Amino acid sequence: MTELAQAVVNGLQMGFLYALVAVGLTIIWGLMEMINFAHGEFLMLGMFAAWGLSAAFGLDPLIAIVPIGLVMFAFGMLVYQQLMRRVQGGDPFTQIFATIGLLFLLQNAVVAAFTSDYRFANDTLLVRLGGAKLTLLGLTFAVPLLLAAGLALVLFLALYLLIERTEFGLALQATSEDRDAARLVGIRPQRMFAVAWGLGAALVAVAGAILVNFFSVYPQVGLQFTVLAYAIVALGGFGSILGTLLAALLVGVIQSVTVVYLPPAFKDAFVFGSYLLIGLFRPQGLFGRF
Amino acid sequence: MSRIALVIGAIAAIVYPIPLQLQGYTYYQTVGFLVLLNAMLGIGWNVVGGWAGQFDFGPQVFFAVGAYTAALLFVKLGVGAWLGLVAAVVVAFLICAVLTYPLTRLRGHYFAIATVAIWMIAQPIGATWEFIGGSQGLFIPVKPRGGVVASALSLQFSGPTKALGYYYASLVLFAITLALMALVERSKLGYYFRAIRDDQEAAEGIGIDSRLYKVLARSITAAVFAAGGVLYAFWALSVFPEQALELNWSTLPIMATVVGGIGRLWGPVLGAIILIPIAQIMSTTLGTGPLAGRGVDLIVYGLIIVLIAAFRPTGLLSLPWARWFRLRRSATA
Repeated sequence: MTELAQAVVNGLQMGFLYALVAVGLTIIWGLMEMINFAHGEFLMLGMFAAWGLSAAFGLDPLIAIVPIGLVMFAFGMLVYQQLMRRVQGGDPFTQIFATIGLLFLLQNAVVAAFTSDYRFANDTLLVRLGGAKLTLLGLTFAVPLLLAAGLALVLFLALYLLIERTEFGLALQATSEDRDAARLVGIRPQRMFAVAWGLGAALVAVAGAILVNFFSVYPQVGLQFTVLAYAIVALGGFGSILGTLLAALLVGVIQSVTVVYLPPAFKDAFVFGSYLLIGLFRPQGLFGRF
Repeated sequence: MSRIALVIGAIAAIVYPIPLQLQGYTYYQTVGFLVLLNAMLGIGWNVVGGWAGQFDFGPQVFFAVGAYTAALLFVKLGVGAWLGLVAAVVVAFLICAVLTYPLTRLRGHYFAIATVAIWMIAQPIGATWEFIGGSQGLFIPVKPRGGVVASALSLQFSGPTKALGYYYASLVLFAITLALMALVERSKLGYYFRAIRDDQEAAEGIGIDSRLYKVLARSITAAVFAAGGVLYAFWALSVFPEQALELNWSTLPIMATVVGGIGRLWGPVLGAIILIPIAQIMSTTLGTGPLAGRGVDLIVYGLIIVLIAAFRPTGLLSLPWARWFRLRRSATA
């Protein structure tokens, strides 16, 4: 019984990390309905930037998230304005095509610069806290994961307030619902899309910078997280930011509980199996509006 | 596509490897094999993606179902490759229909993730199921038969004519796929698919069962992928989970379809003719030498893809080819 409870606790903590990865996708895919196969590459860029700043200048990833977020915001806007804005004129599948090209480009640019070796950020605050644990009711909580989970919560709350409670957020939602109607009331849809891409890229890169404390860094690291992030956003439901958070926690728990009973190879299969099962009863995801 | 262009294209496809073979090359026949295989898969994916307009990211599951079915029949029961191919197509069609019907409750992006989900579940099953060889997979032994006819009938080519033999085998399967899909495009089925893509509610309003036809579209795609999987398995002489369930078996055909022109019968063909040789040329030129292993070939490849997408998002077949050709003809006359 404690084993199961501990698995749930561990899963929840992993879930917060997944939530971080998925939150950028909630905006680009969940809200603006644009497909970005290079989402994992934005994450990878964030991880490499955090590792590089830590290794070269001793800058802790928890501080580096500020410059990384700002640079990736500009990068995301650039990607929209130079590439995705043109691609929007074609079939939705062209977005897949274009972002797979971007995936090849970014991933292999990093291979060319740093090779495919695995790298680790050793000298960071959270890594040094590595052994620290809190024990409560017989369950152990790793302190670094708790801190990362707290950070994820703060980011989610900020994003939720931005999208649901500000004029900018309403304009973003209006654009996602009806581009032409939004234009009629004075919203510039292309600017909204550009900002959404900027926000999405910045958030996932910040997630990457935090993940550096827990995972090794290599150019192909993005895929494993992206596949889960897509499942999380769909499971949570389109356009629902809190849905994404809860789905991420659920996915973390499903994974860690599966591993208690079955070989680890099945943990993602059970996540996707749950998605199918839930989809049969809730075709619009857990909290989706459409 | 005019009839003259079709005849010229067919003759070019048949004659293409002969001078190469006579000069002792085999590499370009293999490139041709990969072009035809991906073009065929692209034509298949065009049914669910281009005509029925459904986001299907998991057709590689049925590529694997086909490869495994034929390999199992061959290794365990000694059933020949072509009979195995027919069985594989039927099995993949049925499995896809059964799996897809409940999924059609989901729409748009939710459906897309459901197709990914089946792929994610298939991977650990393929890696752990001992009956199909687990992560080691199955090895297909070459049974030398001797003679061109015997090789063609058993779909087993070896030695210096291996690449040539599989080139023509892929050409035959490609031609059959193209002809069948040309029939589907002009049949009631093809119009139903496009009606569902353009307006599902309206299509249901005139009595089209959208769930049934989505299942049919995806199962036709699955059948084509199964045939491709059989061909690839006998070429590679093995089937194992990481190879048969590789993501490339869906991304390459999808990319070929999009670059050529989605929803157009010849779109994936044009796309595969452009994308596959570029990838092969890149990896043999930029992928070797002092920069080998640094991904320079894939950087350039990615850049080419990004540029095509940015400047022709509706696909290359949407370019005004007919006008250009007429201009050139009148200029020469």
